[in-house]
This record gives sequence, structure tokens and C-alpha cells, in this order.
Amino acid sequence: MKLKKGFILREVGDEIVAVPSDEIFDMNLMITLNDTGCFLWKLLERETTFENMVSAVLDEYNIEVSDAENYIKKFIGTLDENGFLE
Amino acid sequence: MERFYKIAGLTVKMDTFGRTEKQAENYLCEPCDNYDFCVEPMRELACRKYPHWSEDMREYMFTGAAFYRRLLEFDGLMLHSSAVVVEGRAYLFSADSGVGKSTHTNLWLQLLGDRAYILNDDKPALRLEKGVFYAYGTPWSGKNDISVAERIPVAGIAFVERGETNRIEPFKGSAAVAAIYKQVNHPKTSECRIKVLELMDKMVKNIPIWRLQCNMDIGAAKVSYAAMSGKKCDER
Repeated sequence: MKLKKGFILREVGDEIVAVPSDEIFDMNLMITLNDTGCFLWKLLERETTFENMVSAVLDEYNIEVSDAENYIKKFIGTLDENGFLE
Repeated sequence: MERFYKIAGLTVKMDTFGRTEKQAENYLCEPCDNYDFCVEPMRELACRKYPHWSEDMREYMFTGAAFYRRLLEFDGLMLHSSAVVVEGRAYLFSADSGVGKSTHTNLWLQLLGDRAYILNDDKPALRLEKGVFYAYGTPWSGKNDISVAERIPVAGIAFVERGETNRIEPFKGSAAVAAIYKQVNHPKTSECRIKVLELMDKMVKNIPIWRLQCNMDIGAAKVSYAAMSGKKCDER
């Protein structure tokens, strides 16, 4: 799975935001991400799998496997609902 | 007729008409060869996209969009707001149309009398120059055409919401970033969008940002003026 092309990821002050640069999305949309969200977002900029994401998160963050899996599922779910995934 | 204007510190060429030409009159300058850019109204595109708008309205909106898009190349953007000046400092009040930006800055005029005036009532330009943000009057100043061709350092930006009572607080975090993003110009290309986000990053680091909940009483202006200027107002 992979994010659709056409997003810009940037820091604004202490916030990390993603905005569309492509008119297939609502151009007024702004997505705010926390650190973990940003980490996952960057993973999804290239083709990846759920398993790869879980293992990347476990390498980066000191959390339980089940927590990582739940978090990633929820994150991917939100992206998918909004049509951000290819 | 092709004319030259000095807007937001830039020399631009523009061939316009109607309301746009009229509102730009105070910005006329001498013709020159080394102008910064030409404001392209893109009339065919405007007509295709907004056939139900009047020609005059399309010209006003599209010259504005064109000017503010080019302004990004000069470290500037548009903030949809009413900008009031007091003692050489600009205070910007931003919100969606109809919430009461102009109503609020008008309360400042009532409160502060001839110490205050409106710089731009709808779409001031903001430019970052040597680490300082300045607000500029521009011809795209709203239906009441209130603008002054001046450059004033920005003292604060408040996002206005209607409320029963008047309160103001520093506006931080993702909600503040989202509020700013909603009220700046939204150019279509990714290069321009990146520039907008870069300028917003500088804005939140350099300009005090406030969230103002207010009604339409003079007390609203007292609350916002005291917080944003750090001064008490001697009422008239």
C-alpha cells in the first residue's frame, strides 16, 4: 500500500502538516500529524506493507506489538476512508 | 490601459478596468522598464470557471489571485483579514466572510478615534522583510474599498469567532495552524503551496497569534486592544 501522490509534508511552527498540491483533493484540506503519524506517513510515501510498518514502528518506538498494530490499523483506516491511499 | 502600480513594495504592470482600476488608483506610480511583474487577470479562465459572476467581479477576484500568487516569490502572501493600524503597528483580524472582521476593526476606530485607521479591510498583503512581517494596504481591500498604500509592521493576528462574551487568548497548536491556512491564499501549484507553508512557519514563530471570541459591543475592542497592544486604552 502507498499514499497517493500530491501531498506536501511540512513543519509549521511545532506542528507537522500535510496539504494537497493536487486538485483531486479538496485544496483547502489540511491534515495535522503527530510525530508517530509523521513517521507512518513517510513510510507510506513508498510502497510498503502492514507488516513492514509494524516492524519499523517497533524499531523506532518502545511500545507493545499489539499497541503498534492497533495504532497503525487506525491510521491506515483514516487515510483509506479519506481516499488518500492508492 | 496599461498602467504601473506600486503595491506591497513591488512595481507591477496591470491593464484593468472597473472596480479593480478604481480601487488601484491610489497605488499608481510612474511607468518603468524594470517592474517586478505583470498582473495577469486570466479572463478566459475566469469566465469559464465563474460564468455567473459579473465581469467586474471576476476581474477583481482574478487580478487579486494573480497578484498574491506572484507575491509568494517575494516572501509575501495574502491573509483574509481586516487590518487596523494604531501607533505605527498593524493588528489583523481574520475570519470567514460574514463573521465580523470589519465590524471588529470598526469598534477599534470607535474606541481609539483618530489614533486608529484601516490599512486594508479585506485582503492585506503580508511580507517578510529582514525577519520582520509587514502588512500592506492593497487595492484588493473589499467591497467598501478601504485601503491605504502603506507598509506597517505586524503586531498581531487574531482569529475572530462570535461569542456571547469577550475573551482573547494566545492561539497555538494545530488549530492555530489550520486557522491560518484557511485564510491565506491557496495557489494551485505545489511550489507555491510549499512557499505558503514556509511563510506560515515564519508567521507562527514571529507574530503573536490570538483567538478572539467576541460580540459586537465596544467592550470587544477593549479586550482585544488591551491584550494585543499590551496597553490600556484611555477611552474617548
